[in-house]
Amino acid sequence: MILSEFKKIKISAIVGAVPSNWTSIENFINDDNRETVEKFSNMTGVKGRYNVNDFQTTSDLAFAAARELLEKKNIELESIGAIVYVTQSPDYAVPSTACVLQYRLGLSKECMAFDVNLGCSGYTYGLNIVASLMNSSNIAKALLLAGDTSAKEKSRKIKTKTANAFRMLFGDAGSATLLEKTDEESYIDSVSCTDGSGFKAIIKPFTGYRNPDGKGVSLMNDIDVFNFTISEVPKMLKDYMKLKGLTPDDYDSLVMHQANLFILKQIAKKTKFPMDKVPISIDTFGNTSSASIPISLIKEYGDLNEDRNIKTLMCGFGVGLSWSLISADINIKDIYPLVKNDDYFLDGYENETDL
Amino acid sequence: MEAKEKLEKLEEMFELDEGTLSEDTLLDDIEEWDSMSKLSLIVLLDDDFGKKVTGEQINGLVKIKDILKLME
Repeated sequence: MILSEFKKIKISAIVGAVPSNWTSIENFINDDNRETVEKFSNMTGVKGRYNVNDFQTTSDLAFAAARELLEKKNIELESIGAIVYVTQSPDYAVPSTACVLQYRLGLSKECMAFDVNLGCSGYTYGLNIVASLMNSSNIAKALLLAGDTSAKEKSRKIKTKTANAFRMLFGDAGSATLLEKTDEESYIDSVSCTDGSGFKAIIKPFTGYRNPDGKGVSLMNDIDVFNFTISEVPKMLKDYMKLKGLTPDDYDSLVMHQANLFILKQIAKKTKFPMDKVPISIDTFGNTSSASIPISLIKEYGDLNEDRNIKTLMCGFGVGLSWSLISADINIKDIYPLVKNDDYFLDGYENETDL
Repeated sequence: MEAKEKLEKLEEMFELDEGTLSEDTLLDDIEEWDSMSKLSLIVLLDDDFGKKVTGEQINGLVKIKDILKLME
């Protein structure tokens, strides 16, 4: 097992943002599908989710979360040495949206900025990447922004057979996480894995340079994804805990990517975590891709404002196929209440024909 | 495990009345046979029979008999 260990870096703030528009899954019900939708809701746990407006992108949500974080923590903009943006719904194919975010947030020109194309595993991967950058530099503070607006995309590009399930499952959200160097005793452990032989399990095959003339249809082989998840993910979690001599009793929380409730229950069962240690956000937020772990923490702890450390085991898994864990302590007071924001950035482009 | 017991497990999984299924029941005739019940079947095979199955195997199932074979 390849293990990344960071001793003097801590997660010192987590903020999540969603748009104000929330729709219930009941809106999908008609005379013909009531039973199917209800069964879907029971199994996945989704009761509804937030949707961005037509003009809003993931980066607008991530920006709102980051701005709130910088204000709440009273962070000097010049002190941020890196901004990494994990998303599969970037503003553009070119350039990296992280560069636009560096500009919008007013961060220093010395700040490193780039995008990472990962989804469900992206938050834990992203923490590993940001902590690694800090570990090998004199960067004292860095931002990880993560999120997706999968629901928006699904409503635009429909593959008939699974369209409704896709649209009901996914929600839109963005997040911002601050990592800081600290002199206190601290640790962040991370494991990040890949099985690219499963690249077709979740794919948009006609969206890049390989097959350029497409409309961007999404494919998901739910059985393959499920099989992968219930075998690889518990194995990684158990192997890590064994290596470190830890058990579920040592943790306050197993914070998982919110794929669907059925999968979360299977992973909890296989790793022997009781469900009361598993924060659930898929009910209100749907599957929010790389924002799902911070959103789950926020739903569970964001309104408590307690000065108390919790020991968390975080775990993302999915598209790639890719999976990753983070083991770290987080102070509950550093997990902030949910931000709702409908603002969007005007980049000055309207019609491609005008160019 | 007896075939009858296996059938009962499947009926329980599908939330069907006891005695509804037989070895020759076509899966396509079971209204509850959808992507969600396929996931339940994967878990049932894994938990109760220690069997790992691929998506291809699941999608290749035609009759209840085929599932019973996987349970051997």
